[in-house]
Amino acid sequence: MDFDKNAVDRIIEQRKGAKGAAIPLLQAVQRELRYLPVDAIKQIADGTGIPAAQLYGVATFFTQFRLEPVGEHIIKVCHGTACHVAGARGISEALGDNLKISAEGGTTQDGFYTVEQVACLGCCSLAPVVMIDEDVQGKLTRTKAGKIAEDFRKRSESCQCAADPSEGLKVAKADFGAKAIAKVVVGTGSCGIASGARSVFNLLKAANERFALDFNLAETGCIGMCHREPLVELIARDGSRTLYGGVDATVAKKILVKYFGRETGETGEAGKKGKKGDLERHLIDIRKEESEEHAFFAKQKRIVLENCGEIDPEKIEEYEARGGYSSLRKVLAGMTPDAVIEEIKASGLRGRGGAGFSTGLKWKFTRDAIIASQASQASKASQAYIICNADEGDPGAFMDRSVLESDPHRVLEGMIIAAYAIGADKGYIYCRAEYPLAVKRLNIAIEQARAKGYLGAKILGSAHSLEIQVKEGAGAFVCGEETALIASIEGRRGMPRVRPPFPAQSGLWGKPTNINNVETFANVPWIIKNGAAAFAAMGTERSKGSKVFALAGDVARGGLVEVPMGISLREVIEEIGGGTASGLPVKAVQLGGPSGGCIPASLMDTVVDYEAVNATGAIMGSGGMVVMDTRACMVDIARFFIDFTQKESCGKCTFCRIGTRRMLETLTRITEGEGEKGDIELLEELCMRVKDSSLCGLGQTAPNPVLTTIKYFRDEYEAHINEGRCPAGKCRALITYSISSEKCIGCGACIRVCPVDAITGEKKKLHVIDQAICTRCGACMQICPVDAVEVK
Amino acid sequence: MSLKLKIDGRDVGAEQGETILTVAKRNGIEIPTLCNQQELVPFASCFICVVEIAGAPRLVPSCATVVAEGMQISTNSERVRESRRMCVELLLSDHVGDCRGPCQVKCPAGIDIPGFISLLASKNTEDAIRLIKEALPFPASLGRVCPRPCEQQCRRLCSDDAVSICFLKRYIADEDLKRPSPYVPPVGKSTGKKVAIVGAGPAGLSAAFYLRMMGHGVSVFDSHSEPGGMLRYGIPAYRLPRDILAKEIGIIEKMGARIECNKSLGRDFTMASLAKDYDAVFLAIGAQKASEMRVEGEQGGGAISGIEFLEEISKGNDVETGDDVVVVGGGNTAIDAARTAWRLGAANVTILYRRTRDEMPADAMEIEAALHEGVKIRFLAAPVKMAKLADGIELECIEMELGEPDASGRRRPVPKKGSEFKMKASAVIAAIGQGVDPECVGGEESEIKLTKWNTLDVNSETFETSRKGVFAGGDCSTGADIAVTAIAAGRKAATSIDQFLKGLRVTGEAKSYLHLIAEKPADAPEELKARIAETKSERTVMPELTKAARAESFEEVELGFTTEQAAREAERCLSCGCRSFQSCTLRKLSEEYGAKPERFAGEKRHFHVDESNSMIRYESHKCILCGSCIRVCSEVKELDALGFVKRGFVATMKPALDRAWNQSSCDTCLKCVPLCPTGALSLKVTPAEEVLARMERGADASKSIPADRASSYGEVIK
Repeated sequence: MDFDKNAVDRIIEQRKGAKGAAIPLLQAVQRELRYLPVDAIKQIADGTGIPAAQLYGVATFFTQFRLEPVGEHIIKVCHGTACHVAGARGISEALGDNLKISAEGGTTQDGFYTVEQVACLGCCSLAPVVMIDEDVQGKLTRTKAGKIAEDFRKRSESCQCAADPSEGLKVAKADFGAKAIAKVVVGTGSCGIASGARSVFNLLKAANERFALDFNLAETGCIGMCHREPLVELIARDGSRTLYGGVDATVAKKILVKYFGRETGETGEAGKKGKKGDLERHLIDIRKEESEEHAFFAKQKRIVLENCGEIDPEKIEEYEARGGYSSLRKVLAGMTPDAVIEEIKASGLRGRGGAGFSTGLKWKFTRDAIIASQASQASKASQAYIICNADEGDPGAFMDRSVLESDPHRVLEGMIIAAYAIGADKGYIYCRAEYPLAVKRLNIAIEQARAKGYLGAKILGSAHSLEIQVKEGAGAFVCGEETALIASIEGRRGMPRVRPPFPAQSGLWGKPTNINNVETFANVPWIIKNGAAAFAAMGTERSKGSKVFALAGDVARGGLVEVPMGISLREVIEEIGGGTASGLPVKAVQLGGPSGGCIPASLMDTVVDYEAVNATGAIMGSGGMVVMDTRACMVDIARFFIDFTQKESCGKCTFCRIGTRRMLETLTRITEGEGEKGDIELLEELCMRVKDSSLCGLGQTAPNPVLTTIKYFRDEYEAHINEGRCPAGKCRALITYSISSEKCIGCGACIRVCPVDAITGEKKKLHVIDQAICTRCGACMQICPVDAVEVK
Repeated sequence: MSLKLKIDGRDVGAEQGETILTVAKRNGIEIPTLCNQQELVPFASCFICVVEIAGAPRLVPSCATVVAEGMQISTNSERVRESRRMCVELLLSDHVGDCRGPCQVKCPAGIDIPGFISLLASKNTEDAIRLIKEALPFPASLGRVCPRPCEQQCRRLCSDDAVSICFLKRYIADEDLKRPSPYVPPVGKSTGKKVAIVGAGPAGLSAAFYLRMMGHGVSVFDSHSEPGGMLRYGIPAYRLPRDILAKEIGIIEKMGARIECNKSLGRDFTMASLAKDYDAVFLAIGAQKASEMRVEGEQGGGAISGIEFLEEISKGNDVETGDDVVVVGGGNTAIDAARTAWRLGAANVTILYRRTRDEMPADAMEIEAALHEGVKIRFLAAPVKMAKLADGIELECIEMELGEPDASGRRRPVPKKGSEFKMKASAVIAAIGQGVDPECVGGEESEIKLTKWNTLDVNSETFETSRKGVFAGGDCSTGADIAVTAIAAGRKAATSIDQFLKGLRVTGEAKSYLHLIAEKPADAPEELKARIAETKSERTVMPELTKAARAESFEEVELGFTTEQAAREAERCLSCGCRSFQSCTLRKLSEEYGAKPERFAGEKRHFHVDESNSMIRYESHKCILCGSCIRVCSEVKELDALGFVKRGFVATMKPALDRAWNQSSCDTCLKCVPLCPTGALSLKVTPAEEVLARMERGADASKSIPADRASSYGEVIK
């Protein structure tokens, strides 16, 4: 395969010699060539002296790297937890049917598309979602999924020059005095963009210029109400605010007409009264107690998220205006490192990445190790590192992404304070490459912070210096584990090693290293500013402060929520989340992602507290909270998580590498109706040993989803094995779809949507499913307007 | 020693920074490891070395866990052992390899078939016969009469015809017997113990052979006038010439075994007298009582039993059969009887068998030979009544059809109503099975228990009977079975008897854990099938006596391979089995922990062989990902020729860039090979080299780097 060797040489020239260059080199070459030809890897090896075996090992370890050429456009189908529950399999099948490739993925014959399944795009509230190149599309159905690839292709083929998005609109500016709108803010977090915020933003921008509307157009991050995206907020001269949700082009045009003048309009589209096209419906008033949005926010306690959706994340001034970097100033002005550590210890802050270790204590260990190493090396200036773990890999979690996209300076400030307390002078933010917006905003924030003297040599005139660099992770869940993360920054495969020695003693390049998660760092400025006591006043005896959750799944109001520790799961799901979207009862809530477990409805009064959650068999985890109603099959859910972990296992340890695979095979057999007596016991035995004999957290916790579902839903396993029945109606091999003769109106919708032509029937007469042909995809059930399709 | 801790309840001292494994080892406490290498940084991947630390939530890998003051460690608790067992089971469930060739695994005597064939291929028949006789004393006889279960498992069958294993064994044994002084195994130093063996058949003589090698005195008693048992009296001479059998028995006598014929248990001596005169007894009385047909008129009908018929002929006695002989039955005895009757001059020999050819237990080649000689077989027919007439026997028969499968898995024959027919015969030979006649043992008084099938009740591992010091094996404990099974039983019982005589715990022969690539040849991985198909070659045909020469003669029919034919056929052997059998740690642990990997049957790693390096063979399907080779190449050699590829279940060790080994930076220093705990990495020794090293030095040639080579290819690991 030919490729541009000179381009590869240029990349090698730019980066060779740098420490830990392997992954950035491979990333750069892949960006250039769109894949990694083996000869290019060899060329990198020859040009840099990095062993070819190491480069190839890295290239085949991380999911980001491709060794085969890809189509012009890449469609990523999300198979995260929320998307799985919402029918990601059907989306993959519909795309596969439509593009004539396998549902598993592949490249179309004409090389236009490559379709891949990905672990999570972090847009859980919009499930199921796919991403075409950078363009995320959410809330898909089978039918819509079949069409999106076609639509995208038509768009890209028909017109290269983008039309003016404000075309057809005519606004004559009117004078509204103090009520005149001075600023319009569009939420452009990933969820917003996935819902169409970018085109709304472009429309507003074009109209602003064309009609000289003279408002200040700004972007902001996520305010949490993912279920109402895209969100547009209008701020009047007098400071009054008006928020609209679910804004598309039509709604945006109406907003312009209403707030900037009158429509002079030849094209009356925006002025036309739609069927339900009332602008009122899109108005969101959080203060109104009876409003849904009020309920969404009422029980939240926003510490980490206090600026999210309030400020433009790309403007440091807006962060500063809300008190940003004052904690850093306070620390540098009058607190010793030990005093900072004491303050954090006193706050009771525990690691928000999942394990819940005391943050203050962790800092102290690292500080002690640094002091010890300085003592032993006498004159030599010793290096120490601080790392922010932003490799949010849980399917069903997007807290860190939202925080980084919406308020990156808060994380930086927390890191700078931590570095000061510990004595680290070099920092890395290890961020998923799947979060391009977060990476972009972090880099902007770092530049701005450096320009203002918050970063770099002698911060704010103090003796303390710190450089921070963003490292893009290349796709490996296991790199959430500290030693694997370090290996990855060093340019090696993300394989964990035995601890001790802990990174505090011997971390990155053998130096003392402190690693905390995004949310942990984001709590720090608040604690310094408001004091440890204020923080410790919130929560339970051993779990203090707040916790951010990505609330998703079968829930009416999904989104990013921050709640005080000690709140019950019931309050989060029912009061904040508004219960299930379907109206069916909650069956279970999945907490902690692949390392966590399924907590049954009967334990909904469990409170958000590390120990209380652990007692159920789940873990707090980083904050994914996926609600499942009675349509979720718990064996299928266990299978889903084990499928994820066994793919993400680094493959080092016997139990994790082979044990999780055997668990998957057993669970697959059960869901396919081939379960045998003894399978449950075999699973339990395997789970116990895998937990007992694995090196890192991935293996030690991988069995949790299986163990908790067996513990709370054993009858469901038994129904699959002993009766060949899936009580939730999910496992295809065990169910049949039929059409109710009482309900069917003979509309033909199911006949049109059936991908295998298994349904027949004349118009206005009862339709019938041929069981021999039916593949049990469920498309008919999804489309039926009168719920006549039944599953058994 | 600055630290004090407890391992398995013992107080031990340790230095700061030492690992649990190091401290345990120093104190003589054995902890198994697969991935740990003394000269390399601990990797902690295999998890076989786990131990339990009091108060710790999980087990820890002892290779990488540093000791601490006051630690209380258990290295062998139930939890630890269970974890290790599952560890081995999981590794094996993803391990694609044959410890031994499938032929050898199937052989009841476990002969090292690939071993002797590879020695034959290197023209070394002397060592080949030595190797064979480690497993059985009758290769020339068995080479003629064995129904060859081994050949049904020959891996070649997945894309080709089986290797002619049995005839190669016969060739080696015949070559040996042709020599002026055939191989006589060394006899062990006399122990002064005496063992009585009852029955000079395959089981009894085999036990005598091995007991003599162990140095025990042996007396074999037999009620017949000649030794050999069923080999002598149950198998016609045209299949097993008497001189061949006699020569092989002669070797056992040369080894000092005393064989006393015409001595019958219960008549000339009793269990009580044996117990008094001998230190141990081995009962190998066979299953020589013919079963009855249970048809009306059988008593007066004039039927003779198959074994009785064969025995009479063997003894040289005349049996008048006339022209129309009907043989009832479908086993080898039926075929032998039919072919013998034909040789005695019967014009029409018909076999009645109640099932079809597919269910016929007789050896396919024997059936073929019988048909070739003109024997007719009437399938799906059975006698129901017989009567003696003046001019012969009238046989009333009925046609059968196949119904539901019975306990043996074969479809049960069901009589077809109204399909009765009559046959006339000059003689009827009933060959429908044999049973044990345990009367001679002496009933309850003997203290030897019987099973409900009237066989001697023995422990299947140790061959102990219910009476201390009395062992039994062969047909008398299994019911009528093939010779090789009885021969194997004799050898295994000899081991138990040896343990008993030495006052050791009687455990029987040590059993090796034997892993297989696939249970059946057809289930071999596609990559392997393709490799085999590339070397497809015709099976060598055994030269035979012409049909004309066979008539009215008991000359041997199968003439034996020529040297050229044997050499050619030996070349066809794939030498299945692992070169690293001797040193494989995974196999040893499988035995130690009693692994049952079938519990975790599932997808396995791909079959892939890389032989591109001049000295190293890499079989990635045997790799357990311990990373030792990768690490030694990186940490010690700094060459980084090897690396991990992919992750999770599909992770593998590969030469750089997943290219062939010889395209990597490997300089063939061979440091990696001895570190491999399985046969994934081995030196490219020939099968014959491997066998010889094992026979002579008990060494693993595939892992022992010869000093001269080691120095010329790089320094030995410090």
